[in-house]
Amino acid sequence: MQRNPDIQLSAIVPVGRRHGDLRALHAEYRGGLNDTRLSWELIYVLDGAYADAATTLDALVKEEPRISVVHLSRAFGESTALMVGFSQASGDLILTLPAYHQISGDQIPKLLQALDSADIVVSQRWPRAGGPFESLRRGAFHGLVNWMTGLDLHDLGCSARAMKRQVLEDVALYGDQHRLLPALADRQGFRVRECRVTQSPQDHFAGRYRTRDYAHRILDLFAVFFLVRFTKKPLRFFGMVGAATLSVGSILVIYLVTDRLIFGHSLADRPALLLSSLLVVLGLQLFALGLLGELIIFTHARDLRDYKIDRIVDFSTDA
Amino acid sequence: MAQYYRLSIIVPFFNEAESIAGMHRAIVSAIDPLNVPYEMVFVDDGSKDATFALATEIARQDPRVRVVKFRRNFGQTPAMAAGIEQARGEILVTLDGDLQNDPTDIANFLAKIDEGYDIVVGWRFNRQDKLVSRKLPSRVANWLIGKVTGVPIKDNGCSLKAYRASVIKRIPLYSEMHRFIPAMASIAGPRIAEIKVQHHARQFGSSKYGLSRVYRVLLDLMVIKTVASFTARPLLWFAMLSLPMLLGGAVAFAYTLAALLFSFKPFSLPIAGTGLICTSAAIILWSSGALAEVVYNLGDMRETEFARLTWRISRSASNAHGATE
Repeated sequence: MQRNPDIQLSAIVPVGRRHGDLRALHAEYRGGLNDTRLSWELIYVLDGAYADAATTLDALVKEEPRISVVHLSRAFGESTALMVGFSQASGDLILTLPAYHQISGDQIPKLLQALDSADIVVSQRWPRAGGPFESLRRGAFHGLVNWMTGLDLHDLGCSARAMKRQVLEDVALYGDQHRLLPALADRQGFRVRECRVTQSPQDHFAGRYRTRDYAHRILDLFAVFFLVRFTKKPLRFFGMVGAATLSVGSILVIYLVTDRLIFGHSLADRPALLLSSLLVVLGLQLFALGLLGELIIFTHARDLRDYKIDRIVDFSTDA
Repeated sequence: MAQYYRLSIIVPFFNEAESIAGMHRAIVSAIDPLNVPYEMVFVDDGSKDATFALATEIARQDPRVRVVKFRRNFGQTPAMAAGIEQARGEILVTLDGDLQNDPTDIANFLAKIDEGYDIVVGWRFNRQDKLVSRKLPSRVANWLIGKVTGVPIKDNGCSLKAYRASVIKRIPLYSEMHRFIPAMASIAGPRIAEIKVQHHARQFGSSKYGLSRVYRVLLDLMVIKTVASFTARPLLWFAMLSLPMLLGGAVAFAYTLAALLFSFKPFSLPIAGTGLICTSAAIILWSSGALAEVVYNLGDMRETEFARLTWRISRSASNAHGATE
């Protein structure tokens, strides 16, 4: 896509199943964007067929020139919607905003200012409304994330984030990883910063999280953890787990065999036999998986770079 | 037309603000007398101190220096890999940024490359480090690496190495492979030489690489062994892994079958079960091998390409052009 050089800031709003009154939201965001004194554009990505949202957005496009709306044919998920929006974005600064009230619009300039000393700024709603159970659940989730990634974040549920264009160019999001974008950006060597913003008074989630939502979050976390820690060394992970399983199984087998041969205990009625041989097989399989992973890395090593270059200083004349 | 460089000197720095100016002086005073066109590539591996500012200043005064700055600290192997990728010379020399290697040794490395070797490795024969925490583990590791990879090098950990650029630029370097570059490169079958080098005790700062990495070295070693010896025949590798399982399964099944047919013994559940489990394990390994074949086929690492890196072609006199790349 040809980028429009006049635009400095592109705001992307993925509109999914959960969305608020888009007209009121738009008015608020527009106010915040105008306060930044940058030339901006606003990209709505309609992630699925929502008739009400589509009507509102199409009406908005007619009223204002700086808005574009991407209609997706079905719901692809927020990460994909974000990447689609990014592919249409022209600005060097990217702002992602939720399609429902989370932060108040006047906080947008604050987020962008924080970008001076960071590559990606994550907002933390503060002070935060919500009961004790809510904050306990939140604390557990973020504790797990921070332990796995070594970051110190408190509000990954807030999708209002400001970042430099390079971040989304280097981090390919898929699945439900948008929530963990800061962790993935950190992995690529970007500076992550958290910024406290005022929570919108209308921010309350009427629905209920389903068990499936929790399961997705945990799986995403595991996927990101694996990507962050072991992308280039699958055998370290699989090999460790596999070797542990294999050795436990082998020790058990040796014990059972000596017990049978020397002390004559019959094997037929011992469930331990089943356990030990299954452990051996499982360990072997995990190991084979690790090797397969290494082969994948090796055959693609030329395209995978372990490092990210910030810049190259070269004063020679032939550069 | 880009400048021609015979030699590129690659130095990774990580928090070496005290050493960097001395390093640059040492390199210049060692290489200038050799009278070869050369460049220096300084890789700043995400230093937190003034390393990058000092390096930029050096580059401003000496245009033969280029500085590659990482976004954050990525480690020694990525730093080497970045330097190797950015270098434009015909011969690449890597050095440690902490003044432990002596640049005056580089002349000997060049001479060895000119003799026709593709990789020349330094050996710190009078190593100035603590015996128990550094020298002893390294000796064990080197012995092991030599045994497993079949590339017997006395000192894999020495950063001072010289490579023919055409060879090393095509060798994949990732993870913590810098310890195994010669072993990794052995996929391409290069001619490797080892020469003695000076080693100075560390003057500034502290060593950034600790001891607790034995299991990593072991696993990396296994990876290299696997990819180096069986990349082109993964199915064979997995098939060999499955051989004991297959054998065990076959024996158990034959026994069970015989027992059932001739009923000389009562049916034995443990033996039949073991046979079943062994066979399934073998099948899974074979499937993994088949998948590995697919992966290899889709990837872009071909044995022919590795062969091409180091081959030498002799032709009849009418069209002879000796060694080519």
